[in-house]
Amino acid sequence: MAATRAGPRAREIFTSLEYGPVPESHACALAWLDTQDRCLGHYVNGKWLKPEHRNSVPCQDPITENLASCLQAQAEDVAAAVEAARMAFKGWSAHPGVVRAQHLTRLAEVIQKHQRLLWTLESLVTGRAVREVRDGDVQLAQQLLHYHAIQASTQEEALAGWEPMGVIGLILPPTFSFLEMMWRICPALAVGCTVVALVPPASPAPLLLAQLAGELGPFPGILNVLSGPASLVPILASQPGIRKVAFCGAPEEGRALRRSLAGECAELGLALGTESLLLLTDTADVDSAVEGVVDAAWSDRGPGGLRLLIQESVWDEAMRRLQERMGRLRSGRGLDGAVDMGARGAAACDLVQRFVREAQSQGAQVFQAGDVPSERPFYPPTLVSNLPPASPCAQVEVPWPVVVASPFRTAKEALLVANGTPRGGSASVWSERLGQALELGYGLQVGTVWINAHGLRDPSVPTGGCKESGCSWHGGPDGLYEYLRPSGTPARLSCLSKNLNYDTFGLAVPSTLPAGPEIGPSPAPPYGLFVGGRFQAPGARSSRPIRDSSGNLHGYVAEGGAKDIRGAVEAAHQAFPGWAGQSPGARAALLWALAAALERRKSTLASRLERQGAELKAAEAEVELSARRLRAWGARVQAQGHTLQVAGLRGPVLRLREPLGVLAVVCPDEWPLLAFVSLLAPALAYGNTVVMVPSAACPLLALEVCQDMATVFPAGLANVVTGDRDHLTRCLALHQDVQAMWYFGSAQGSQFVEWASAGNLKPVWASRGCPRAWDQEAEGAGPELGLRVARTKALWLPMGD
Amino acid sequence: MSAHNRGTELDLSWISKIQVNHPAVLRRAEQIQARRTVKKEWQAAWLLKAVTFIDLTTLSGDDTSSNIQRLCYKAKYPIREDLLKALNMHDKGITTAAVCVYPARVCDAVKALKAAGCNIPVASVAAGFPAGQTHLKTRLEEIRLAVEDGATEIDVVINRSLVLTGQWEALYDEIRQFRKACGEAHLKTILATGELGTLTNVYKASMIAMMAGSDFIKTSTGKETVNATFPVAIVMLRAIRDFFWKTGNKEELGDEWLKPELFRIGASTLLSDIERQIYHHVTGRYAAYHDLPMS
Repeated sequence: MAATRAGPRAREIFTSLEYGPVPESHACALAWLDTQDRCLGHYVNGKWLKPEHRNSVPCQDPITENLASCLQAQAEDVAAAVEAARMAFKGWSAHPGVVRAQHLTRLAEVIQKHQRLLWTLESLVTGRAVREVRDGDVQLAQQLLHYHAIQASTQEEALAGWEPMGVIGLILPPTFSFLEMMWRICPALAVGCTVVALVPPASPAPLLLAQLAGELGPFPGILNVLSGPASLVPILASQPGIRKVAFCGAPEEGRALRRSLAGECAELGLALGTESLLLLTDTADVDSAVEGVVDAAWSDRGPGGLRLLIQESVWDEAMRRLQERMGRLRSGRGLDGAVDMGARGAAACDLVQRFVREAQSQGAQVFQAGDVPSERPFYPPTLVSNLPPASPCAQVEVPWPVVVASPFRTAKEALLVANGTPRGGSASVWSERLGQALELGYGLQVGTVWINAHGLRDPSVPTGGCKESGCSWHGGPDGLYEYLRPSGTPARLSCLSKNLNYDTFGLAVPSTLPAGPEIGPSPAPPYGLFVGGRFQAPGARSSRPIRDSSGNLHGYVAEGGAKDIRGAVEAAHQAFPGWAGQSPGARAALLWALAAALERRKSTLASRLERQGAELKAAEAEVELSARRLRAWGARVQAQGHTLQVAGLRGPVLRLREPLGVLAVVCPDEWPLLAFVSLLAPALAYGNTVVMVPSAACPLLALEVCQDMATVFPAGLANVVTGDRDHLTRCLALHQDVQAMWYFGSAQGSQFVEWASAGNLKPVWASRGCPRAWDQEAEGAGPELGLRVARTKALWLPMGD
Repeated sequence: MSAHNRGTELDLSWISKIQVNHPAVLRRAEQIQARRTVKKEWQAAWLLKAVTFIDLTTLSGDDTSSNIQRLCYKAKYPIREDLLKALNMHDKGITTAAVCVYPARVCDAVKALKAAGCNIPVASVAAGFPAGQTHLKTRLEEIRLAVEDGATEIDVVINRSLVLTGQWEALYDEIRQFRKACGEAHLKTILATGELGTLTNVYKASMIAMMAGSDFIKTSTGKETVNATFPVAIVMLRAIRDFFWKTGNKEELGDEWLKPELFRIGASTLLSDIERQIYHHVTGRYAAYHDLPMS
């Protein structure tokens, strides 16, 4: 028999049955750092960039072992990276999709070959449990590349009419998985964009990925990674070459970036916050739901904390099981193969300590358990309950690894509580009753809902959020559109006006005086603000004159103000649940009825258009086209949403297209009838209710349509407020309860709308002074409208018995 | 041996509201296998512990007294002495938990174990093993005869048709009668989970078996097409924990459950795999087939 090599401890372990360390060797990660002489620079244009005279910060693992130093980028490095990406974009986007598909597939293969290096490096530096990185993230990273390679290869047919935006600036938060980067670079690269990623200092995994991609050969500059401080974010975002900024991070930083990017060249996509939600009803498999809580908060899968709502009748049972389960959790070094949770560094530890202390001082009960090393920066799984709903801690985001539990009585109340936060990321519903689960799943205002599961992910399922979680998407078709724009539209230019005063824009309404009596052959135009289904007198009790093309008085319209906007938004909110609950068929029927009414009113409308200077033929054509638009959107909405089939999951994932809520639309001055109807039709067809500001030059056409809407539509569906354009825009853009805003008007107005939208982070679509060809199919009724008019929700329905 | 489970009254309201979500349990089963692992000494110690949980089993038509004798000897000396010495575990009295045979072979096993000079319990399958499709009267008689022959543990199979048709009271009564027929012997109830249809049924059958006074509940006979799997184990463990919570017992399903009086693994080939692993741990080499004694 060979020599023995057993240690002495087996005897003790036989009695205690304790777990031992299962260390994963990270020698290859250290060896890779050695190839960089333990000094990491930036990876730009296929080469390591290590400029001199830069500050450097230490790269540590969370248990503060110094691994390497990282050079901090400066503005000129950013400029160099953006230039490299811009040069690379010309070649990369010009290639057929198949070539890009091959390149992405090769990158997936490279990752597969070097996955051990990737997962040990990631787990070493971030401190996340290596099991989650190895079995979850690295595998998903490869799936992402494969999925998007397929999308790239079919791009010419499937995404005809769209073209890549250009250089994408990607900004990642201080604690993140390299997977967050993969979710965003894969669709961007697939559709032909190139990327400059700004990662926080001391995150080597993205640099390694960039190196692996860069060494593949022919397209070195498509992925550039800089590491630098948060102060570089506005510098990167305002680089002239950057066409879109994809930001993920804290809500307040996102808000600040939204404000600072108002009027700048780059578009902005936000993905904010990390909190998730879990609804546990009394028909749930409670033990499995408890595992869902572990998945969400205590397994290093999700990035943040969890808000847990438990039905009162199972509160005791659920809490007992939860606490018992917490006792079995293990925390330790991320590179240990048998831990549930790693450590996430001093900053995360400080954050959660502060939160728990404050929660306690506000009256909450705190329960902590688990096999956790006692020293910093380890922090035990924490369950907070009895937190008074009105306390400040109940309003802020729950940090990792905290679960805040609170009770609810009925499903209806659960929806009220769950939707009563500004966050709208992801949620899971635990119920064995199909009807209840679907009711909750459809009712939750979030981007992703899992039924009886938590935290499932797949490249083909769009993931994103709504409300203040930001409305950008990754994965699935929605992820691709984030980096595409309709072909042939003029390039988005900066409309920044440095001296625009946000405090005074549109604040005062210039006073209007009577301009004489209305004259003309046609019947007197309708007068008033169309709010809540009827014409109302404006709060200001004054009117503004509208002149025709020859300068004569055409009529007076009501002068709307802040109070009228408030009333209109209220009316729209009242009408929203009923309208959104209608079937697409019922909505289409009403749109068709309006189309018919428009045709009956054709001669009046045409004569009003004539007075605005249109030829009779053109005027009649505009009326006919408007009616066609209503019919077309009514028909198109029938085919919204679809079912996805996901690898490894039995059961469907529904991709729902849900209405945004109350949509504010400021119509362009040109095409007073057609533009109004072209914007109204998709908004209503998808179940939104609207507050519209019609063409300032000739609002009378919109008011004519209102006369028909008053008879055809339920009250409050569409509300039309006339008045001073800038003032009404200001009121709408600053309204916190308007869910989205479209603005077609001046550059200054666009800049203001973008700036003001930071309040509730409503998605905005601003024309920046560029006219649109509303009579053309692509611009007047193209897929871009259909995309912007609704939001996606992914509803996961695992099956099995 | 620990005391018997006295059981409780049949409480149908208790099991009627139970929910088991199949896909969620499958996911949990996958996770359990990925989230915990033991290496080196820990692995060796855990493997030796596992040996003490094994019901070393032979249930073949061609069993005779000679292979029963060999099996009993292997039960007494499951791991090679020199390997145990190397681990400093030779004086821990490591044997398998029991020897499990057909009723007709109980006598052989009792005799062989006596000859080997050890008190490893003999378990006998009974009650129409493996299908349970015989008359209740003969099933009960089978139990009594096995106990008479010296079996101290009786592995009964439940009547699956009662589960599939939802006759929980009848199932409870049958197991109650098994319990009585066992006398002082331990009652180990095999649920044959591969034939129960759903995990919810597995949970309910587990609960009924414990209410009726089973000392152990076991997953399967080894003769169904689907036998012990992680998901059913999870559901049964949750049922056991709930049973003990609700009967006021303070114990939870943690480390304190890991002793041969409370936890068993029914197996015939597992033991040689474990011995092979221990050989590798001690010597650093992979064993040849002839390095380890057969059972």
